[in-house]
Amino acid sequence: MPKVVFHHHGDTSTVVEADAGSNVMRAAVQNGVAGIVGECGGQAMCATCHVYVRESHLGALPPISEDEEEMLDCTAAPRDDRRSRLGCQLTLGEGLEEVEVDVPGAQL
Amino acid sequence: MTVDTTEARPIPAADWVTIPDLYEDPYPIYQRLRAQAPIHWVPAVNRYLVIGYEACHAIELDQQRFSADEAQSLMKRSMGHSMLRKDDPEHDVERKAYGGVLRPKAIKQRWEAVFDRNYATYAARLRAAGPGADLVAEFAAPYAAENLRVVLGFSNATQQDLQRWSQTLIDGTGNYADDPQVWAAAERSSREVDEAVDEMLPALRAEPDGSLLSVLATSGMPLDSVRANLKMTIGGGLNEPRDALATTVWALLAHPGQLASVRSAGRWSDAFEESIRWVAPISMYPREATRDTELCGMAIPRGARLGVVVGAANRDPGVFADPDAYDVDRPRKPHLAFGGGNHFCAGAWIARASVVSIALPRLFAQFPGLRLAPSRPATIGGWVFRGVLSLPVHWD
Ligand code: HEM
Ligand code: FES
Repeated sequence: MPKVVFHHHGDTSTVVEADAGSNVMRAAVQNGVAGIVGECGGQAMCATCHVYVRESHLGALPPISEDEEEMLDCTAAPRDDRRSRLGCQLTLGEGLEEVEVDVPGAQL
Repeated sequence: MTVDTTEARPIPAADWVTIPDLYEDPYPIYQRLRAQAPIHWVPAVNRYLVIGYEACHAIELDQQRFSADEAQSLMKRSMGHSMLRKDDPEHDVERKAYGGVLRPKAIKQRWEAVFDRNYATYAARLRAAGPGADLVAEFAAPYAAENLRVVLGFSNATQQDLQRWSQTLIDGTGNYADDPQVWAAAERSSREVDEAVDEMLPALRAEPDGSLLSVLATSGMPLDSVRANLKMTIGGGLNEPRDALATTVWALLAHPGQLASVRSAGRWSDAFEESIRWVAPISMYPREATRDTELCGMAIPRGARLGVVVGAANRDPGVFADPDAYDVDRPRKPHLAFGGGNHFCAGAWIARASVVSIALPRLFAQFPGLRLAPSRPATIGGWVFRGVLSLPVHWD
């Protein structure tokens, strides 16, 4: 089963497993992971599922779509040019069996 | 959470709740209901009202159990079958057809300049009306209507047409009393919108302009759906920014300390988000249970007509401390005023751009000494749609 590691501010982290075909936002919301909201249910419309992907996983990510690109300019925490992504656009499974992300300090 | 059980508590009935009382001031009613249970059967509105934050949020995220495609929907009768009354995958197809029209990139490239121009037009109208003028009638309503008219692509209509269409179609959607005059007005508007749409589509196919109608004209969406979605968006895209704007101005004028803090740090977004938490412009929207199920430990029968009362959820004391206070400094938590899940408001960024980035900062900068009219208090009302109805203001 695909696995997501959420690193929180300080030294804590949450590890969750999710079905293939799910995504990083849904994995967080279904497991009550703090700091990921996902208001729009994954339509790249709200920017409240922002995550910073850890360097070692950047190569495995799908490209940033036009919708995701404009929404990444609307995040509450500052955008990181390399590491910022929308959790709802990171589909798990095929090619992304495991991913580690830092949870931003704010989503709203 | 999705396990259906037979041990759920029954839902209490609240036969003392009336529509006029809800219209006048729903919040004391929610308080009284909340003390008893997060869900009640309310005969006056013929629905189960879901008032708890957790319960409302759970419904938004679960279209398998709670369908937006309500049987006997007054909205379908008034406006046709739009995406707002469909579930995925049918909903998703139509939502995708809206493309980028209401999204941040188009707002920056196209609509900001329009909102800018409209601000100038209606600020001048407010100024000409002079101190004592009603900020809702002279500014907020025509500003919201003209913005929407351009974004939707009705170059063959006026902002007054948009206001009339919006109000009469909404009145049809809320016509629980089955008043024939209300239906007649809604049907007239519905026909007028159909004619306006039919006239615009070929023109916009020939000369696309980035408006919603222009994008839908080449999307392959069936004509009936184009018409229904336009009516829904006319109903859902005018009153809400108008009310959010007027309620925010009213709240700030009534709390001068908070206004000072908002002004000095440009915290217009905080002021706006707190205002739609405090008085949600759309306070209730419907869903229907697809099977016998359980929510927050309570038994919901299949076919139950639910009212998701985000106006109450936004004042749930379990989530928001001292929830009845307008407080721009409260810790930011997700409010439900834009809904959530697959029907999350498609116009949220349009509302924010027109109200937060343009109207609020400019009004307070360009009308120095803006204040409530001392002898004519603002009026507030509404249940399903709630907001400031009139807001007489003075300035220096
Ligand atoms: C502060 C202003 C606004 C508020 C509070 C608001 C609120 C909402 C809510 C609560 C819903 C979901 C209803 C449900 O799930 O049944 C919704 C949906 C929608 N809103 Fe807004 N709205 C606002 C402004 C706008 C504007 C300006 C537009 C258009 C330009 C708009 C277009 C829509 C559309 C098209 C939908 C349907 C989305 C779907 O079914 O997927 N809204 N809005
Ligand atoms: S959940 Fe809204 S953008 Fe990802």
